Amino acid sequence: MATPTPSPTPPPVPVDEKRESFEREALVHLDVLYRVALRLTGNAADADDLVQETMLKAYRAWDQYEKGTNAKGWLLTILRHAFINEYRRRVRHPENVDLDTIEPFAVFGEIQDEDPQGAFFDRIVDDEVLRAIDQLPEAFRETLVLSDVEGMSYQEVAKVLEIPVGTVKSRLFRARHMLQGKLYDYAVSMGYIKGTPA
Amino acid sequence: MNCRECLDHLYEFLDREVTPELERDIRSHLEDCPPCDEQFDFEAVYLKFLRARCRTQGAPAELKHRVLRELFGE
Repeated sequence: MATPTPSPTPPPVPVDEKRESFEREALVHLDVLYRVALRLTGNAADADDLVQETMLKAYRAWDQYEKGTNAKGWLLTILRHAFINEYRRRVRHPENVDLDTIEPFAVFGEIQDEDPQGAFFDRIVDDEVLRAIDQLPEAFRETLVLSDVEGMSYQEVAKVLEIPVGTVKSRLFRARHMLQGKLYDYAVSMGYIKGTPA
Repeated sequence: MNCRECLDHLYEFLDREVTPELERDIRSHLEDCPPCDEQFDFEAVYLKFLRARCRTQGAPAELKHRVLRELFGE
């Protein structure tokens, strides 16, 4: 009786291996995805659904992801597309903001005599900062969150948002100053600094 | 480098997105120019504050369980 010859084709990637690499490279970014989803949708229930859907899509497409590259950027791209296609209309009112007409307010000029070290920032709590971020126009908000909250480089942000690096820089500049203006107004209204409201 | 040019690169510098040559020019301007130096410090405090305030939140444990259940049926 002839012994069976080994099959010439390699066995398919075991499910365990796919799961293992997905857990190692994708699931570790759950916190990042959740924070970004929360800032995009503006509420926890939609953020949960958006992250869940992103993970499902990512797992189905996992074979297309080149292992060991930038999983965070790849996942955020999936998340953002899902948001644009399925959530944006529903969860956010359409924005009619002409970003180019927004003239950010230079806080340092107002405060350099009173608090040049920016000590007033320390008195502003998490919730207030997040609330102020949520008031930014979406294009500014997503740029600022990826860069300032998640610490991504200009190049990485440009890739996820599918815009040129120069646009990332200018949006970031204006988003940061706009947010600073809001926080400054808040600090003045709370009496943390004297200032003059913008 | 004058103040205007220096301030134009403020965020790129703080984000570590400048070339080594530009970084050197900016540093040398900041050493000689206390007003610009003060403004750079203020913006650095602001960016550090933003990151510290916004990263405390993570995905709820329930969401992680939900994702694992959906993907792997557990």
